[in-house]
Formats: sequence, C-alpha cells, structure tokens
Amino acid sequence: MSASAYFRITLHRSAIGLPQRTRGVLMALGLRRRQQTVFHPVEPQFAGMIFKVKELVRVETVDKPLSKAELKEERKPDPGFYLESRAAVPTPVVEESAEVRL
Amino acid sequence: MFGAFRFTSPLNGGLLWKIPWRLSRFQKLRQRRRLRAVDSVVSTLDEALAKQGETLKALEIWKNEMPTEAEMLPKDKYTMFDRKEKRYRKGIHKLPKWTRVSQRVNPPGY
Repeated sequence: MSASAYFRITLHRSAIGLPQRTRGVLMALGLRRRQQTVFHPVEPQFAGMIFKVKELVRVETVDKPLSKAELKEERKPDPGFYLESRAAVPTPVVEESAEVRL
Repeated sequence: MFGAFRFTSPLNGGLLWKIPWRLSRFQKLRQRRRLRAVDSVVSTLDEALAKQGETLKALEIWKNEMPTEAEMLPKDKYTMFDRKEKRYRKGIHKLPKWTRVSQRVNPPGY
C-alpha cells in the first residue's frame, strides 16, 4: 500500500549472555540498550534481522520514523496541569512620541 | 539445631541446587505471554512484508513448521524432550536462557 512504511523496533530484552551473532544483529540494527527504539524501512533485509532477534524486541509498523525529540515527548508523563494562555493585550495606540523614538 | 552449624543439606553435603522440577503457574503464565509476544512479532513482520509484496524465506519456514501459542500443547509449552530424563521430558526452565530462546517443537512421539 504505502511505499514508505517503517518498522518501529524497541529492544525489550537484553542480549547479555546470548551468542555473539545475536548481539551482532542488535548492533547492526542500532540497538545498544534496553527500551531503545529505532526505525528501519520495511524491507526483507531488515525483516530478516528482526526475525533473528524476535525474542528480544517489540515491533510495530509505522508510516514515518519519529525524531529523537518526538520519542522523548512520547515518554513524557502527563504533568497534571496546563497553562492558561494570557488574555490578549489590547494593542497600544500609536502615538507621535513612539514614532519619534523609532 | 539453629545457628551457623545447623545440619541442613547445603551445609552438610555442599552443593545443593534447588531448581523445582516443574514451573509454577506464574512462570507458566509469563511463558505463555512470551510465546505470544514472539507470535505477534512474526505476524507483524509477515503483514508488513505482505503489504510490500515481499517474502522472507526464514519467515515462511517458521510459519510452516512452528505452531503458534494457541496451537501448542501444554506439554510442549512447559516441557521439552531430553533423552537422558526419565520419560524423556524435562521442564523447559532447564534450557539455558530459556526465556530468550524459542523452543517449540519436540521429536514426534515424545
């Protein structure tokens, strides 16, 4: 359907004590620590890599990759309050003196 | 009787590992959840590739040979074949790294 789909891959289980090949696959995917999320395009090449570490990761399909800032925003808890925006200040009448200063 | 010189099996005989011979029901619950998590990863990969019109050989082999969590027998979920065990079965928790490796099928007839 959509030509640009991405895998959203999160490392859920650590690869400590697992074979070097498994850890190498995680390195190749760019997963270094638990709960880290990376995005890769939907291609057989990446699908095969995910398949190798299917016991360790959680995978979703998304339309576009998120930036680091957007991922952080996702993790942010609800602060429990919101700031009311200040009421609009009436525009000051332009006087002659103001113009002189400009 | 009590204190540092009590006669317990580990103190008397030395090495005594207390690994229960079967899983508790909570371990079994988590095992089922892990099996389902792997199933969901496999189905996600399969659906995503199918949308692009691609296939993956390893994925096809897995789909043909491996049962999903719902299709597995309890016997295969929680125990595995071992030729050295009495009745040829041992708890799956005896498998090294058993929470992070897939062990789903056993020899037919055992």
